[in-house]
Amino acid sequence: MKYAFFLGCVIPVKYPGFEKATREVMKVLDIELVDLPFSCCPAPTNMKLAHYDTWLALAARNLCLAEEAGLSILAMCNGCINTLKEANLILKEDLQRRNQVNLALEGSGHCFNGTIEVKHLLDVLYKEIGLERIAEKVQHPLDGIRIGCHYGCHLYRPPRLMYPDELSEAASYVPVSMDQILTVLGAQPTQYSRKFLCCGSALGTNIDAQAANEITREKLQHMKKHRIEAVSVACPSCFSQFDRGQMMLERKHHDGFNLPTLYISQLLGLAFGLDRPNLGLGDHRISLQPILERVGRSS
Amino acid sequence: MLKSIWELFNKEDLFECYQCARCTGSCPAAMVMKCYGPRETLLRCLNLGQEAVINDERVWYCTTCHVCEDRCPQEINISELLTAIFNLAAQRGNLPEKIKFGVDLIAKTGRSLIVNEKVLKDRQKLSLPPLDPLNIDEIEGILKKTGLNDAIELS
Amino acid sequence: MTPKKVQRKEKEEPRIGVYVCHCGLNIGGVVDCARVAEFAAGLPGVILSKDNLYTCSEPGQELIKADIKEHRLNRVVVASCTPRLHEPTFRAACEDAGLNPYLFEMANIREHCSWVHLHDKEAATEKAKDLVRMAVARSKLLAAQEPLEVPVTRKALVIGGGVAGIQAALDLADSGYKVYLIEKDPSIGGRMAQIDKTFPTMDCSICILAPKMSEAGRHPNIELLTLSEIEGVEGYVGNFTVQVRKKARFVTDSCTACGDCVKVCPQVAPDEFNAGLSMRRAIYMSFAQAVPSTYQIDMDLCLNKHGIIACDKCFQACQRQCVDYSQQDQILTLDVGTIIVATGVDVYDPTPLTEFGYRKFPNVITSLEFERLINAGGPSGGNLIRPSDQKIPKTVAFLQCIGSRSKRSNIYCSNICCMNTIKDALLIKEHWPETKILVFYIDIRAFGKGFEDLFQRARREGVSFIRGVPGEIIEDPETNSLTLIGEDTLLSQLYRYEVDMAILSVGIEPRKDSPVIQRLLNLSCAADGFFLEAHPKLRPVDTPTGGIFLAGCAEGPKDIKDSVTQASAAASRANILMAQGKVIVEAITAVVDETLCQGCGMCVKVCPYSTIREDPETKIAQVTQASCAGCGTCVAECPFSAITQRHFTDAQIFAQIDAITEEAPETKAVAFCCNWCSYAGADFAGVSRMQYPTPIRIIRTMCSGRISTEFIEYAFRRGAAAVLVSGCHIGDCHYINANHQTEKRVNRVWKKMERLGLDKNRLQLAWISAAEGNLFARKMKEIDEIIQGVTPEEIEKTKQILVPKKKGKGEGTEPKE
Repeated sequence: MKYAFFLGCVIPVKYPGFEKATREVMKVLDIELVDLPFSCCPAPTNMKLAHYDTWLALAARNLCLAEEAGLSILAMCNGCINTLKEANLILKEDLQRRNQVNLALEGSGHCFNGTIEVKHLLDVLYKEIGLERIAEKVQHPLDGIRIGCHYGCHLYRPPRLMYPDELSEAASYVPVSMDQILTVLGAQPTQYSRKFLCCGSALGTNIDAQAANEITREKLQHMKKHRIEAVSVACPSCFSQFDRGQMMLERKHHDGFNLPTLYISQLLGLAFGLDRPNLGLGDHRISLQPILERVGRSS
Repeated sequence: MLKSIWELFNKEDLFECYQCARCTGSCPAAMVMKCYGPRETLLRCLNLGQEAVINDERVWYCTTCHVCEDRCPQEINISELLTAIFNLAAQRGNLPEKIKFGVDLIAKTGRSLIVNEKVLKDRQKLSLPPLDPLNIDEIEGILKKTGLNDAIELS
Repeated sequence: MTPKKVQRKEKEEPRIGVYVCHCGLNIGGVVDCARVAEFAAGLPGVILSKDNLYTCSEPGQELIKADIKEHRLNRVVVASCTPRLHEPTFRAACEDAGLNPYLFEMANIREHCSWVHLHDKEAATEKAKDLVRMAVARSKLLAAQEPLEVPVTRKALVIGGGVAGIQAALDLADSGYKVYLIEKDPSIGGRMAQIDKTFPTMDCSICILAPKMSEAGRHPNIELLTLSEIEGVEGYVGNFTVQVRKKARFVTDSCTACGDCVKVCPQVAPDEFNAGLSMRRAIYMSFAQAVPSTYQIDMDLCLNKHGIIACDKCFQACQRQCVDYSQQDQILTLDVGTIIVATGVDVYDPTPLTEFGYRKFPNVITSLEFERLINAGGPSGGNLIRPSDQKIPKTVAFLQCIGSRSKRSNIYCSNICCMNTIKDALLIKEHWPETKILVFYIDIRAFGKGFEDLFQRARREGVSFIRGVPGEIIEDPETNSLTLIGEDTLLSQLYRYEVDMAILSVGIEPRKDSPVIQRLLNLSCAADGFFLEAHPKLRPVDTPTGGIFLAGCAEGPKDIKDSVTQASAAASRANILMAQGKVIVEAITAVVDETLCQGCGMCVKVCPYSTIREDPETKIAQVTQASCAGCGTCVAECPFSAITQRHFTDAQIFAQIDAITEEAPETKAVAFCCNWCSYAGADFAGVSRMQYPTPIRIIRTMCSGRISTEFIEYAFRRGAAAVLVSGCHIGDCHYINANHQTEKRVNRVWKKMERLGLDKNRLQLAWISAAEGNLFARKMKEIDEIIQGVTPEEIEKTKQILVPKKKGKGEGTEPKE
């Protein structure tokens, strides 16, 4: 299996360790990742809100790069997924929009044809690679750590655009991939109230970081109540809320949550027994020490 | 130029709203900020018109989590309504500085974050491929056609 | 029954009398009636032609009767108002004078002429002449008809033993008819038996239902068939043959319900009657008041399910030896004259609405589960307890509109939930007055008698009504208490309420197996899945299929009172048929000419009533006259013109087209309108005096499904500038769905016109309801514009190239020109 690797902006700039971990994990799972000169997706939290047409055209350009390489896209960030999946779906279905966008792309030599798919790392792991193959690679099971999954809204909302073929009876979608993956890694994914509440990231980056952190705090409180020991995320923006945001909350409220947060590739890397320096474990504000000790990877 | 949010959103769809408030009841922003919430925003658009919301900086308190749409019993595409409101607000100059900064950076570099020396060094340490500058002429050409600069005042 | 042969040709020469009515000034003030009468007198076959002030008056009718006798008239044409008004009057007058009523014809020169062309007297008079010409031409081809009498079996079948079914069965049985009451569950009683109290009177539900149940159980005229389902239905109004599977009960009727067997049974399963809140054994009785009061074995659960006796504990325990593991299903064949469908509803399952945590949080329950919890006969002995810890809750929340008014579940209002919640809240207050009760609602719909009072009472007793349904329910992992998060829309502020228990006030929805009933009985369903009534206002308990009636929630959500009311209404409707002992079928049915039928089966496919069947050997189509509704869809579909609709024959319609196009066809439009909607819509435009241009000439058929492509093409070939086909809106067809065929046929002609390079805009299709006079008038203006735009060349070209396709020999081939 081979994918165009969509880095986005936040991971390669702020959290290169997640990128490293993902590349290493994918190597173990025999997935080839191809780098292409993608631009910002662009983000559903800025460009889309400011100017929809520009957002759609730039997203289309990214999709075209992958189309030209004949590869579907694998992305690590929910923002990228939200933009690229929605743009891909709209441009595939709405021929009028497609014509408009292709007109805008004319000078750049690209033309959207709708030949590829866009997939989040979680879906590639869960649906393409499959739990069995992941299980085969586990060398250091995660010792039943009670992990709370935070999927991140942009991964699956709105469901009609993100998972149009998998809607529930009530036309909604409840993701389970991360919980399932963590189970085969030997962790104990633990349910908690308000699991599907937003982390607050966009409010933080655009308007008011303190207010956004209060949303994160609501989630952290419920996680603590359900005796969760660590948080698993699939998006760098969510990560920032749970990690950096938690640090800021601690200064203000002294809750003492101390909930380490890990990006899903890091947990996979730990379970696969990959070299610690390749997992970007140093970029965390909330210490990972307790978790690393639990899985015997503290040094 | 966008003159009305109804160019981007079908007003008819709003008549299906009966104000059950499951949207605002689920809204994370409404939980922590003094804002209208989707229910009242929608009602204001319908009964008072777009002017009743688009000049208000509080429209931007949205986290874009789309839970409102996910919970709406009438399947109203609230996220699309909000995007329409944001777009028109941005055009009227009601655009948060941080978003403007991000949009500006994308227009100039193709990325929403600045790639500095430290970033490149950090990546090198992890033996990750460098982040080469993007073909900015190509991106500028696209933006000219989509009319970003005509719609929004960038720095 | 053998269909009557159509009289192809009248032997005697037509002797037509024409009467042009002034209707005071209604017609006479616009149309020059004397000139119209004079014109009619010159038409071939017309013996006499008169104009008079009020033809419908006594003297007017007497004049017709006298003329029939004196001048030996064998056809009568009255040009006056709409036939929807006075056709029965004049038919009766003709019959009085010894003329078959089917030899009478009307021209509508009031609603369709004088009233809509008030300001153009000349054009109106010309149009009136055309309308009379059409009527005279058609009248010549009319044939005497005898309506059919069908006997009605004086027995009824009621499907469903809920309160509606019980009521209908008792009403009919009390009227002296034999009734079969069929119930698929082990006992009758239905949903009402599960409910604790009823609103707005707070009566005990089972206390008022149980006497009715036992009355139904022992009524000499009612044969109760529980554990029974319909498997096949054949026949037609008055004469149905129904196949019923009576499932094995494995316990004989001599059971005394002593319950000794239950104590020894080793197998348990969730109890359906208690909404799964308690367990029952494999041998069980659904509830204490069950009728029949007989135990049964759930063979799917019993250890003996594979036919091997692995356990005979109940058999050993039963002193009367009522247990019989070898019982088999029985297939019964019932002959009945009428059927009442009272199949009831299912309850919405809120599991897909994950944000409310139903099935995830033990203290989130549905309103039906609540009924069983608060019921003294329920699993908790009437104590409202939290499923998580069996404690009595101090704070209880009700969430309204769960599974109703939503595109994610059912779009309609379920009608009963508001009042049910108010009743439930008061019940809690009655037993545990200290309980804090919160009702989260969107709108409180308290529209019925005594409903508003009950709502106010609940508020006075301290029930809090909060406008705004929670976005989410969360649970405290230690206490299992719940927090409701949402917005109070009246205060525009967010709330968090902690409650001990939340009750989802769930809606009701059509039975999952209702498509089976629909197919077996040939019923129609509305978009929401409930069975459709024949007319929403005036025939609310009839179905489009004769002899079948609806009662209770099968037709739509309703409370007990409405269900009972409707059940009595359905019983009364069935009673009328059975009391008369016969039904009269109007002589407008389809008849097959066996010499022309090729057995292609097209008619079988399009018949909305499934009343045509192919002879298994000869493949020749056979129309059951008693169940033919007379839409004519099969006639229009038959490629061999082997089917004729009595009183609406191809020849008659072709004659009307000929009459319209005899003079200056290039200035006219031929319109085909169905009797029930679009013709009535045109009448309504007239009554409302909506003015529109004069070129339209309307031909009335019972259904737009009668319009064959030949009629349309023939009108064009005769040089008509435009053609309008018009019927009821899709979904509103008075013949179930016959207008789907109309749509298909018009599409066919459009395609053909396109292929031939003709302007397809000249053929218009419009769905116009009886209330849409304005729409009809607007359409007429549109058509006038179309006519203005049609060039003589276009018309000439159409005449040349729109050639008829080869057809078999029959009446339907167009007349020789």
